[in-house]
Amino acid sequence: MSLAAEAFVSQIAAAEPWPENATLYQPLREDQILLSDCASSLAVQAYLRMLGLPVRVRCRANAEYMSPSGKVPFIHVGNQVVSELGPIMQFTRAKGHSLSDSLDDVQRAEMKAYMELVNNMLLTAELYIQWCYQNTAAEITRPRYSSPYSWPLNHILAYQKQWEVRRKMNAIGWAGKSLEQVYEDVSQCCQALSQRLGTQPFFFNKQPTELDALVFGHLFTILTTRLTTDELSEKIKSFSNLLSFCRRIEQAYFESQDRDSQSGALDYSKGPSLM
Amino acid sequence: MAAPMELYCWKGDYGLPSVDVDCLTVLAYAKFAGAPLKVHKITNPWRSPTGTLPALKTREEGSLSQPSKIIIQLRKQKYNADYDLSAKEGADTLAFVSLLEEKLLPAVIYTQWVDAKNYVDVTRRWYAEHTPFPLNFLLPNRMHSRQIERLRLIRGDAILEPEEQLEKELYQDALECMTLLSQRLGSHKFFFGDSPSSLDAYVFGHLAPLLKIKLPNAKLQQHLNSLENLQQFCSNILLLYFPSDSREAPSRNTAVHTDAGDFDNEPHKRRNQILSVLFAVAAMLGYAVLSGIVTIHSSRSQLEEPRHDDGDEDDEEQE
Repeated sequence: MSLAAEAFVSQIAAAEPWPENATLYQPLREDQILLSDCASSLAVQAYLRMLGLPVRVRCRANAEYMSPSGKVPFIHVGNQVVSELGPIMQFTRAKGHSLSDSLDDVQRAEMKAYMELVNNMLLTAELYIQWCYQNTAAEITRPRYSSPYSWPLNHILAYQKQWEVRRKMNAIGWAGKSLEQVYEDVSQCCQALSQRLGTQPFFFNKQPTELDALVFGHLFTILTTRLTTDELSEKIKSFSNLLSFCRRIEQAYFESQDRDSQSGALDYSKGPSLM
Repeated sequence: MAAPMELYCWKGDYGLPSVDVDCLTVLAYAKFAGAPLKVHKITNPWRSPTGTLPALKTREEGSLSQPSKIIIQLRKQKYNADYDLSAKEGADTLAFVSLLEEKLLPAVIYTQWVDAKNYVDVTRRWYAEHTPFPLNFLLPNRMHSRQIERLRLIRGDAILEPEEQLEKELYQDALECMTLLSQRLGSHKFFFGDSPSSLDAYVFGHLAPLLKIKLPNAKLQQHLNSLENLQQFCSNILLLYFPSDSREAPSRNTAVHTDAGDFDNEPHKRRNQILSVLFAVAAMLGYAVLSGIVTIHSSRSQLEEPRHDDGDEDDEEQE
């Protein structure tokens, strides 16, 4: 897209208000969605709820193939389709909605850095445990990932995806890590997040930011998802301030709003609860 | 701890102690922590104990090649540059290193290895000129395809997007990342107070090549040049910790500049001319031999004839 065209699009985006019928697409919640996708989807939902932008959640078996970047989740707003948290943040900012306007330059730099920490360590660890740890891959990941497809496509697609993730791990130097080292990395990452959060209600004082949405998405999903072992969620449970942080956001942005709107199944998108 | 650990790195150039991002990071960290390493600056990765560079050879744990593992190993040996950091600063280090790896590193790989003009004019030339003979034909291309594959996998796309689109996205992230780093650094000498830590090593490792290696397409460089504190940060570290390398820079730079003109093309042209003439002659001779214009038999008999006269009697005697 040329610069002129992009400026034009963002102008249109800015001119149009947020529509009532904005939709977020993700894979099937019960049978298909994987830990990492669920975490990303929940992060986007938390982000939009923090901004007070309404969005309906739709589950589609082929969400991954509907998305423009091949990654879930993606939102459909008016005439536009945007995928992943980073671009969605840019998109809402173009419309004049942002959570980080009150931060100063240094804080914004730190916020971006911590967001990359979550992507770099937590997300990669989730992918590793999903696809590279034999037990999880065989018992949970491959069957779930391929559940909408019939034989032989289910095997082909699942192994193709696994192969791709393993090569990615090779490229970033995670292939040689053992499961213990990955748990150690998760622990280190949570330690860093816990240090940063301290006793504050949110990462940057009283107001939630993009970072809070992202951290909540990942931690909450890890805490509420059952894997072959509990070790991953145990790592997080040892940080009490992170636990209460998750509860706080769940209460403030998911339970109260769900109770208010009483919209039932369509909006109730988060799955299990911590309480 | 009798023998010091040995570190294998890519050779330095352009006023840098090493041309490679990972090697620079490790070298800087070792300097900051004061670790007594025996550094081998080599241009043949096959001579490193792991087959890749950088590599740290230790007594107890064998050889390590990932920068993060090398740094952890040095830390275990009590060479810790992060000793004075508070827990929160340690957390910040982890976060900013992630930021560098996710946002800046892909753009650095792109600008050095994927951008066609930069790769052909600078990167491939440097590696081809510096690696030893049979390897110099093989290695740059292999590194090239490996880096492209790495970039593709980091981005998680099925295929890399067309160049312009990809470049725009990567550079956008990288410029933002540099601006964020510059804001975080502010007017400080190092990221955390007055002494350098591992974050400083990582930032230096990623930025110094952009700053020092002159590339034809230099968008990242231009942006970095506009961020004065980061520029100052890199040259400070070079001056303080690698004085011998940075002193070499001016002479080396002028050499590069004169090289850039017609002078440099000349030896290559001459070599190519000689090679092509040799090839043509070989092809013609080969054709002549194969089609029977010149037969090996006749040429051998012609050559042997003078000798034949001398050895004639001897042969007969032996028989």
